[in-house]
Amino acid sequence: MNRFTRRELAAVVSTSAVLLARPQAQPATQPLPANPAEELQASQAQLRDNAGQLDKFPLPMSVEPATTFKA
Amino acid sequence: MPSIPDDIFFATITEINQKLVKKEFSAVELAKAFCDRLESIGPRYNALALSLRKVAMSDAKEVDGDIKRERLRGPLQGIPFGAKDLLSFAKHPTTWGAKPYEGQVFKETATVLKNIQKRGGLLTGKLAMVELAGGPSYRYASASLTGPGLNPWDTTRWSGGSSSGSGIAVAAGLVTYALGSETSGSILTPSAFCGVTGLRPTYGLVSRNGAMALSWTLDKIGPLCRSAEDCGLVLEAISGADDDDPASAHKSFHYTPQFARDFKDLRVGYAPVDFSEGVDPAARADYAKALETIRSLGLEVTEVKLPEFPYGAIIGTIISAEGSSIFEPLIKSSGVDQLADQRQIAGLKAGLEIPAKDYLKAMRIRSLIQEEFRNVFSKVDVLIAPSRFDPAPKITQPLDRRVSDRPTPTTPGLTALIPAGNLAGLPALSLPCGFANGMPMGLQLVGSPFSENRLLAIGKAFQDRTDWHKRRPPITAA
Repeated sequence: MNRFTRRELAAVVSTSAVLLARPQAQPATQPLPANPAEELQASQAQLRDNAGQLDKFPLPMSVEPATTFKA
Repeated sequence: MPSIPDDIFFATITEINQKLVKKEFSAVELAKAFCDRLESIGPRYNALALSLRKVAMSDAKEVDGDIKRERLRGPLQGIPFGAKDLLSFAKHPTTWGAKPYEGQVFKETATVLKNIQKRGGLLTGKLAMVELAGGPSYRYASASLTGPGLNPWDTTRWSGGSSSGSGIAVAAGLVTYALGSETSGSILTPSAFCGVTGLRPTYGLVSRNGAMALSWTLDKIGPLCRSAEDCGLVLEAISGADDDDPASAHKSFHYTPQFARDFKDLRVGYAPVDFSEGVDPAARADYAKALETIRSLGLEVTEVKLPEFPYGAIIGTIISAEGSSIFEPLIKSSGVDQLADQRQIAGLKAGLEIPAKDYLKAMRIRSLIQEEFRNVFSKVDVLIAPSRFDPAPKITQPLDRRVSDRPTPTTPGLTALIPAGNLAGLPALSLPCGFANGMPMGLQLVGSPFSENRLLAIGKAFQDRTDWHKRRPPITAA
């Protein structure tokens, strides 16, 4: 299991202060996609937006994914 | 055949089981009454996926035989229940709420259903759900093979999902309890919107064997019931080690509220902004009373902040990547285009394009989230927040568009507790705690991993002092 020093955690979390979870819902005035192609573009844009938020999040090299592989 | 009194449809597991053991009515009579009700009223709310009357009646005869021979199997014996239609039941359709899987039949029964059947439970039906348990996302309540789940409190409003039929069926007294599932919100949301008590267990406590997978690292199976106590009884039956579930925590659960720590030794963390600016104004008085009730139990209530992470982006990436990988055959075969919701279809397709680096980054940040929550729970024992901050929306409302014109609160409070709690694998209990303009609202308690008994003890004590969980929607008999 990963264990991080308090300093590592504090550095990561304090830097992320501006990266709070965005509201899941768009404003009511935002138009809905008009057709499947626009829908796909909207989904792709959302995933790019998610990736952008994650890219701004500093991660120490020592942090491993939250999965466990057992031989 | 004596008729089953109407109150029985809204009674708890213990109340009904005691009457069965005293032979006030038989399991066969009970099963018939519940099956009649589920079949006649369930479709009115788009709650029923499949009636299992034949199975229930056959099992009920066995239960009556066992009771006659005093072969008692515990509180779930003879109790009618429903199961979200992502749980396989051998040789019967399991549709996952989705058109492409309408005719799907499995040879095996899900572990959780086998566990309940061993205890004499009566499965009366498969309950409706949002297609593919909501997939990466969906826009409308109609994202389901069976149509939108209609809220029993107001059929112009949504029941919540993705365990829509489970929430409806319990609220409307069509089953005594139901099994649902949660990846991110799918037990807590219908519980809150329908005014029932729902429990999301710790990740890995309940076997997912036989359940449709949406996200391997986020899916949990849990009960929706009439009370916290009932949730504890059901969790005891469905939990435990299962070698057929790679994510099994290999831990058992025994419902023992009597051994929970003294409430005066427990600290509850909350964010005042949630109960003042965050929640619907029409419910604020009820939430204030709910907080006072929590304090009156002797719990120390203290202000807390959620660790700051981009929870939405993280959980969105994980569900999309894992869900699209799971449904890759569906997407590549174009069967995905048969789904009901255009946003769901697009999300599944887009999810196949997520680069590995994004998924891995999300899973790495997730490790930090788990670590931070360990720190949180070193300072408090339970987190408390509204389960949902608004009541059930209208069924025509796009779910990905903000409905409220309230200004965004000055601080986020614990508004991200659903994604955060799911990312950290934490258990949560949603309790009915009031109304907003006639629509139920819920209070969620979240604890550290495997602290279900603590949550249930607080939930039971809360429900001993309040009667929100006993309120009934206006259901007219068929």
